[in-house]
Amino acid sequence: MSDISQKKEIKDLGSTLLEVAMVLMVSGASTGRIRNTIDRISNSFGYTTNMLVSQRSIMLSIYDEHNDCVFNSLKRTAAHAVNFTAVSEISQLSWLTVEEKWGIQKINEELKRIKVLPHYPRLIVLGLTGLAGASFCRLATGQPIDMAFVFLGTVLGLFIRQETMKMNFNPYVCVYFGAFTSSLIAGSLLKFHPTTNHEFAFVTSVLFLIPGIPLINAFSDMIDGNLQNGLIRGLNGFIISFSIALGLLTSMAIYHF
Amino acid sequence: MEWLLLSEKCIWFGLAAVGFGILFNIPSRTLVPVFIMGAIGGFAKVALLHLGINIVGASLFGATLIGCLSIPFAHSKHAPPPMFSIPAVIPMVPGVLAYRMMLGLINLAADTNPDAYNQILSETIHNGLKVMFILMSLAIGVALPMLVTRKESAKEIRFRRPIK
Repeated sequence: MSDISQKKEIKDLGSTLLEVAMVLMVSGASTGRIRNTIDRISNSFGYTTNMLVSQRSIMLSIYDEHNDCVFNSLKRTAAHAVNFTAVSEISQLSWLTVEEKWGIQKINEELKRIKVLPHYPRLIVLGLTGLAGASFCRLATGQPIDMAFVFLGTVLGLFIRQETMKMNFNPYVCVYFGAFTSSLIAGSLLKFHPTTNHEFAFVTSVLFLIPGIPLINAFSDMIDGNLQNGLIRGLNGFIISFSIALGLLTSMAIYHF
Repeated sequence: MEWLLLSEKCIWFGLAAVGFGILFNIPSRTLVPVFIMGAIGGFAKVALLHLGINIVGASLFGATLIGCLSIPFAHSKHAPPPMFSIPAVIPMVPGVLAYRMMLGLINLAADTNPDAYNQILSETIHNGLKVMFILMSLAIGVALPMLVTRKESAKEIRFRRPIK
């Protein structure tokens, strides 16, 4: 009887750990962080875990105290969407699991709560990202009129990107649409008001799309020795940059810059 | 007066950092620290640039400062250090240089006369290398304090108190 319940515990633990690793991966955690978190949770249950972490799938084996492999499974990750609140909450979850000896049931409940945590309201996201774009423009010595156009371009570009994401376009294509919209709006300033230099508005309007997390995670993974993951993340960041460049190019072709 | 102009940039660096933080959906209790870190890191960068240090070194210093600040904030706000350092460091990304590099690459592919070609080539390589080194120094600067303190992560357990 105890054998059966132990088997069930291991199976539950395995699927929970895979779920935790998957949520961390899609929310933008580095590979080292995923490994540390999973090790921390499984150690508190007295098991050792070995993992293969990659961008789109995660493989996990659990070993018991006699070093016998008792669980082995593979999970595909969902679509990547950066969500630092989830990463932060899971980090707390792992520490609480160690400190307060949480059971699997409790972890699952907490995980369920974390997965449905609300994002910021859409208007706030749009407004503050627009403000960030305007700040970029100001830092690149832009004037108030440039800042206004960049604000508008960023808000609309992000809006278009969110809408195309909802329509299930390829993520890189969504970035292209966003970059195209923003640069089209900021470029109109350059086109119809050519007396002063508005180049900075055109450039900074697409900066809200820069793949900061893939690029920084790429380097932290490589420093950590996860070369393969680092290269893959870097390549992902590169393709996103390329999509931004394509969007800019399309606007330039339309305006004949 | 010059320094006043420099400190005006703090606000813009901070706002850009917070905007990206919102985009990355960071917890709301970390928004104020992200603003402060973005402002301090950005100010360090523009101040060093003002003192005549090149942009790669200035970015590295700013990013390292942000990385160092992220550790105490992580302890007091109960969130992992990258939640603070990644949004804060993004305003330092050299967008204008990257754009010029891309424009240069396109011009190289177009039909240009040989005289102009050499100048465009050297400018493009110059801008591209700068972009690469700045990005590298940002990533290293953010990661440096985390790498140094990683060995002490076991000690950090005692600093962390559950908030629920």
